[in-house]
Parts: sequence; structure tokens; C-alpha cells
Amino acid sequence: MQGLPLSFTNVSKSFSIKGNALHVVDNLSLDCPAGSFTALLGPSGCGKSTLLRLALALETEDAGSVQIAGGMPRSACRSGVVGVAFQDAALLPWRTVEDNIRLPFEVLGRARPEAAHIANLIELVGLKGFERARPGELSGGMRQRVAIARALATDPHVLLMDEPFGALDLILRRQMNLELQHIWSEKRPTTLLITHGVDEAVYLADRVIVLSPRPARIVADIPITFQRPRGTDLLRDAEFHRLCDEIGTWLEPGPAKPSPASRA
Amino acid sequence: MIRVRDHTATLGLVLGLLLLWEVAGQLRWVADGTLPPLSGIFTRLVSEWREYSPHVIATLRSASLGFVFGNVVAVLAAVCFCLWPLTERLFRGINIAAFTVPPIAVAPVLVIALDGDVARITLAALLVYFPTMTAALAGMQSADPGAIDLIRAYGGTDFKLMRHLRLRNALPFIMSGFQVAAPAAVLGAILAEFGSGARWGLGTFLLGSLGRAEPDRLWGIGLTATAIAGLGYALSAILAARMTDTNRAVNVSVAAPAAEAATDSQWKRAMALAAAILLPFLIWQLLLWWAELSPIIAKTPLGVVDYLLTGKTAASAQERLFAALAETIPITIFGMLVGLGVAFGLALLSFTSPIVTRALLPFALVTQTMPLVALTPLAVLVFGRGVTVTLVITISVTFFAAFVVLVQGFALIPRAAFDLVSVYGASTTKKLNLIAIPASRQWIFVAARLALPKALLGVMIAEWLATGKGLGNLLNQSRGYLDYGMIWTVAIVSILLSILLYQLAGLAEWWLSRRPADGSKSWN
Repeated sequence: MQGLPLSFTNVSKSFSIKGNALHVVDNLSLDCPAGSFTALLGPSGCGKSTLLRLALALETEDAGSVQIAGGMPRSACRSGVVGVAFQDAALLPWRTVEDNIRLPFEVLGRARPEAAHIANLIELVGLKGFERARPGELSGGMRQRVAIARALATDPHVLLMDEPFGALDLILRRQMNLELQHIWSEKRPTTLLITHGVDEAVYLADRVIVLSPRPARIVADIPITFQRPRGTDLLRDAEFHRLCDEIGTWLEPGPAKPSPASRA
Repeated sequence: MIRVRDHTATLGLVLGLLLLWEVAGQLRWVADGTLPPLSGIFTRLVSEWREYSPHVIATLRSASLGFVFGNVVAVLAAVCFCLWPLTERLFRGINIAAFTVPPIAVAPVLVIALDGDVARITLAALLVYFPTMTAALAGMQSADPGAIDLIRAYGGTDFKLMRHLRLRNALPFIMSGFQVAAPAAVLGAILAEFGSGARWGLGTFLLGSLGRAEPDRLWGIGLTATAIAGLGYALSAILAARMTDTNRAVNVSVAAPAAEAATDSQWKRAMALAAAILLPFLIWQLLLWWAELSPIIAKTPLGVVDYLLTGKTAASAQERLFAALAETIPITIFGMLVGLGVAFGLALLSFTSPIVTRALLPFALVTQTMPLVALTPLAVLVFGRGVTVTLVITISVTFFAAFVVLVQGFALIPRAAFDLVSVYGASTTKKLNLIAIPASRQWIFVAARLALPKALLGVMIAEWLATGKGLGNLLNQSRGYLDYGMIWTVAIVSILLSILLYQLAGLAEWWLSRRPADGSKSWN
């Protein structure tokens, strides 16, 4: 296991839009122990992405602290222990698939990775034969898979993903979920996955966190205890569906929810 | 298939017009043979090629050196402006001056202050700087926000962002900047040859041939200059097209918008503005100190103030300057307005019958790349030396720039907007009234700001070469009398005038945009 702990302690963040303060995160605390897999669910625009951007030092918290391995996220990012995949594949259009996957090494100032390493990653995300293709020649789903390969390329200790499978169709999504689980089990990077797919969250994570509408607060913290490795048969399991339904009710707007304390 | 037929139609039109030129020349339809037939121009060009070649080589040399230096400075400046936005604010005064400067006004100053060869290269570089700098900066700043986040997430600094993302992203923009810069370099080189005493160069050749009533020679020089500029334009266009192909954005960006930067205090903004205004004068002063030129020849900012306002020359200088301004300003504004009006009308017409655009654009392209100085003697041949020639030149320079901007602006209107009103049975006029005219409002101002400095340049060139009036003539006369104070004064005043007109257009735009225009904002 190579995961490093990630923690949010009493974090608040607001943006000012045309002079009005917009509270996005309000006094939120979340501990992701080393090697854990946490899924974040919540209504659109609730501040999930802001949490991820705070952990990447792309934003600075107004109050509280975000730490990776007990240090500043910025130094963790600079040292290259963090891997990231955004909702938007963010590929450089003038670079080939291979060269896009190599980009983090160049930014980090590391030695050029071995060709075999890149080839393995490309094969892993099912893009063998497209090594020299440019992003413009790929479909949306293929581009997203390049982004995932790039996130894994630096062998990260902390893996942050913002709806990385959002652009994929259901079948491909399931397949990528399986692969991700496989990779995660092998190296156990501390993983934070933002998703809209309740089943994806339950299938992959040790723990599902449900956030309230803006400002983001934790309304439910649900441990997922299914045995690993989890096969596709889990998707047809009654307990799996019960959990998905329960989480679904947390996501519905309106009052009258069981207290989160009863589950945590 | 349709595209091929369209191209054939355009080609046919262009060939038809060229044929018309040939016939009109042969039959001496225009002003008693001042428009020679194309075949005649080319025959003469070929037979005199030995006489042309040293001039062509000289101009090519200064233009291409200026092109290279100007672009290097422009890209470096854009890198600085992008990395440290404060520098962009400090240099705003210099940048606006570089954009609005009438090159004909600074040419004599450069010739005074610098060695002949250096002056030519400098003027070419000066005209190259602005288009490339703005294009490069826009390219750097338009990098995909998702990719910026990604590189930052891996700890990428501003320099890494520049190296891995922004510079490469700016390449196609820079290439399209080159399309404007290449003809500008030729114009700069030719203008700096004017009155520089240079033995070789197309500008020298043109001035030397001006007195001889040989239209085919003048046309030959004009077309040669245009061909050089057009070649630069075409090469840049090909490169730009190549680059754009691999650069096409593949992601619809969904990254979070950057949080608004903390707005600076009034005081800080005022400081930046003051610095931006003072910096050009400071650099002017420093350059003169550094060059160790005689204060009689090279006037410092205070020297100009003394000459125009406080010294014993003041009264006479003011009188001559105001008389010149009274002639130059009205015709500049009038010419620009007529040019804009014609452009607007034709742009609307091209809307209802696209064939107009296709027929006009190739000619717009030629005049865009045609060095203005080469056009002027030809206009003199056809229209004489009166006010008409000034107006014709001013209108033609402003018209084509404005027409291209407006047509491009119309092309940005989403088709769905027209389809929508068509569904409700709108007539063509209604479509124009409901959509095209409101949408064009912002483009009119873009066109006006582009056209104003060109209008002033056009007027001044016409005054220098043809009519013997206004600022252009004052500049030419002062050169003859070695009135250095007036040369510097005209240079500075015409730059300030150009900036003033430019700012007025901005002010008018701001004033109009305060009232809501139906939907014109949503296509920004």
C-alpha cells in the first residue's frame, strides 16, 4: 500500500461573484485515511469540485486546512505524489496520446518514463493502436480514457478524480470501473472520486459521502463493506441495490432523513 | 460540390474583373490612359526588371529584417505581458501608440535619429510589433482552462504553463498575426525610404518615378510592392491554416471559471494609468540620451513643448499646426464615416446575396496587403490632386478593413437565430432589422477603431504625395526647411491625435452599450 492520507479540517470557502459572496464550502471536515477509497456524491453545483480543487491547491481555503500526508497540498502536488483526472479530459490537442500521458513527467521535471510503462497504461485503458493519434481524432470517451491513463501514469499516492467517467457510455463505464478497482487494489492510492453515479460510488468506494446543496456540508457518511475484489455480480446483489436506494434518498431534495449519526 | 462551384464562381468573377481592367486599359476608358492595360504594365515590368531588382532587394531586405526583429520583440513582449500582467498595464500607452501611430509621421523622425538602414528596419519592426503582440497575447491567454488546471495540479509554475501550454497554444494566433504583420513590414520599409536619401528601395523608386507621367511604371511598382506583401501574407496564411488544423480545441471547457481577481483600488488604477501615459515619454527621452544626438536635431519631450508652447517659435508653430489640423481632422473623420457607411451597406447587401462577399473579398485582401503608399500615386493619376483623391484613399482604406470586420462579425451570428425568425415567416428585411443590424453594432465599433488610424494615415499620405495640404504636407515642408522642431511636433501631434480619435471611438461605444441592444451582447 502506498497511499498517503488526505484530510479536510473545518474547511470553508466562498467566492465573490460580482461583489456577492457565494459560500461554497461551509466548515467541512473529512478524513481520507491512507489507502482509502472515498466517493463524493451531491447535487450539481454543491461544491464537490471545489473540494477537489482545494486538495490540488488550485484554490485556497478561506478557513480551516487541507492536508496531504500532513503537509500543504501544493508541496504534495509539486513532489508528484498526486494524480488527477478532471471531468474535462484537458488533453493538449497538438500532442499525441502517448505525449499527453507523458505530460505530467515533463511538468514535474522528471526523467522521461519508459516506453513500456506508457504502452501498458494505453493498453490498460483499451487504446492500443491509438498511441500516435491526436485528441482530435478520438471520440469523447477515448479522450477521457487518455486522461485516466495520464492520471495513473505518475503512479500517484493520492488519486483525485472529478467525474472522470461522465462522458462514457454505461458499458464502457462499467468496464473502466472494473479496471480502476483493479489498479486501486494493487497500489492502494488514497482515492477521492467525485461522481453522479450512485451505483458507481457504491461499487468502487469504501465509503460514500453525500453532500448537501451549497454550501457543501456532509449530510451522510455511509461505509461500504462489500468484499474485494468486487465482481460484476455485485451489481445484481440485493444489498447493493438497497444501499444505492438509501443513498438515493439522501440525494433527494427535502427534509425528513434519518440522522447521519445513526449510520456513521 | 457546392464549395467547388462557389470557388469557380469567385474565380470567374475575379478573372472577369481583370479582363475588364485589360479592356478598359486598352481602350483608355479611365482618365485618358492613367489606367494602363494589365498586359502593358507587365510587359514594362519585365522589360525593366534589371532596373527594378536592386530596389526590390533593398526593400525586401529591410522589410524582412524588420519583420524578424519586430516579431521577436512582439512575442517576447507578449510573454512578459502574460506572465506579469502589471507590465501589460504599464505598457498600455506604448501599445496603443504602436497601434495608432501613423508611420508616415514617425518616418522622418526615425530617419533623423537613426542611421538610414536602421531607420527602415525599425519602422518595419514598429509596424510589425502590434499585430503580432496582440495575436500572441490573445493566443497565450486563450489556453484551455482545463489544461491550465491540469498543469497547475502537477505543481506547474507560470513558466511551465508558458512552456508546455501557452506558447504552443499561441502559435496559430501568432501565424495569423503574421498575416497582418507581413504587409505592414513592407509598408514600413517603403515609408522609411521616403525622404531618407536611400539610393535603393521601392519607396525611393516610387518617389523618383512620381514626377514622370508614366502610369505603367507607377502601376508596376505598386503591383510589385503588393506582390511582396501578398507573398508574406500568403505564406503566413498557409502556416496558420496548418497550425489551426492540429490545434483545434477538442474539449468544451467545463472547468470552473477563475475567481474574480480582487479589484484594485481607484488609487492603484490611477497610478497604473499615469505610469502608462508617462512611460512612452520616458522611453523617448532615454533613447535620445542613449543615442547622444544633438538636441537641435533630436527633440526631447520638453524640447517639443518648448518649440510649440513656450519658446519664441511657439506662435508661428501653433499657427501652422492648427491650420494643418483644421484641414486634416475633418477629412479624416468624414472619410472614415463614409468608408464605414459604405462597408455597412455592402456587408448588409452581402447578407442577402452572398455573391457580393465572394466577389469583394479577394479585392479586399489585395488592398489590405497593398502598401498604402503604392496606392496613392495611382489614385493621384486617376483622381487628380484635389480633395477627391484624399477622400478616395481614406474611404478605400477604411472601407475594406471595416467590410472584412463586419462580414466576419455577421458570420459569427448563429444560424439558429435566423432559422428561428424564418420559422415565423420573417422577410429578409425583417431578418436584417431583427438580427443582423443589432448584432452588427459592436462590430461597427471594432471596425471604427481599426479604421481610424488607417484613415489618418491615408489622409496624411495623400496630403504629402498629392494635395499639398494639412499635416502630411506640413511634415513634408518641414523636412525641406530642416525645421526639426516641426517634424517632431507633427510626429507627436499626429500620434496623439490618432490616440484621441481611437479613444473617442471607444467612448462612443461605451456610451451606446449602456443602452441595451436587443441580443447584441449574447454573441460576444
